[in-house]
Amino acid sequence: MSKDAMIEKLKSIVKPYVKNEEGFNNLNADSDFMKDLKINSANLVDVILDIENEFDILIDNESMEKMLTVQSAMDTINAKLGEK
Amino acid sequence: MTGNDIVDKFTAAAESNWKRKGFLEKLFTGQEQQLIGEASIPEDMLWRLWTMKESAYKIYTRQFGGRFFAPHKINCTILSNTSGCVTLNTINYQTITRSTKNYIYSMARLDKNAQQAFLNCCFRLPQWTYAKQQAFIYDNIINQYAVFTGTIKNGLSLKKDKDGIPFLSCQGDMSVIPVSITHHGHFAAFTIY
Repeated sequence: MSKDAMIEKLKSIVKPYVKNEEGFNNLNADSDFMKDLKINSANLVDVILDIENEFDILIDNESMEKMLTVQSAMDTINAKLGEK
Repeated sequence: MTGNDIVDKFTAAAESNWKRKGFLEKLFTGQEQQLIGEASIPEDMLWRLWTMKESAYKIYTRQFGGRFFAPHKINCTILSNTSGCVTLNTINYQTITRSTKNYIYSMARLDKNAQQAFLNCCFRLPQWTYAKQQAFIYDNIINQYAVFTGTIKNGLSLKKDKDGIPFLSCQGDMSVIPVSITHHGHFAAFTIY
């Protein structure tokens, strides 16, 4: 999957949890889920569970630890897809 | 140093489906999941444990810098209806939780002998947009701090460092005052110590 396509997919996943519309409209690889999109920390787990479902992967605690930005989420998804 | 976290119970019920597959497993240790399962109101225990973790995490990141999402590394122990202990990388934090019909609010401190926060304030927010609520919270913090300390509020501003950790800064004064801020749904709180 291309980087742009993955960002689009992530954009649709995070949409229900975003509190900052401006951050959402400017979403890019560097966007931070909490700082830029103002996603509540309790909803970050929903983002991670939605990513697991969407990409049919399992995200272990160690990988989850770093998933604070769109880029780190993409890195984890690519690593997990590569393990398949 | 203090950290705090609030959960608006109605917002949580609307925005978090804690019964979804994997939700509890990703956020809580086996022991904590057992506490939730055995509680008379599982949601209240869940959000109590969550706010305990968050409030301790906020102190930890202020102490050591860096950010991470590792709820499993933050272990909660319940000591009474209100008090608890949170351990993160061998550091213990003491917590006090207040539960009302509307919200669950936890405040953590580094050790139990430490002074209470010198300002600890929890308030309801008007039904505005998130951004407008944020501005209201910042104003409220500055106003209350100014009144409490007898400082002129025009010189005060609320800033965040690169990790998003908030602090109050005073014009003409190099020192910064750590503030812990929490906002969820229609409630917000802050502590200063």
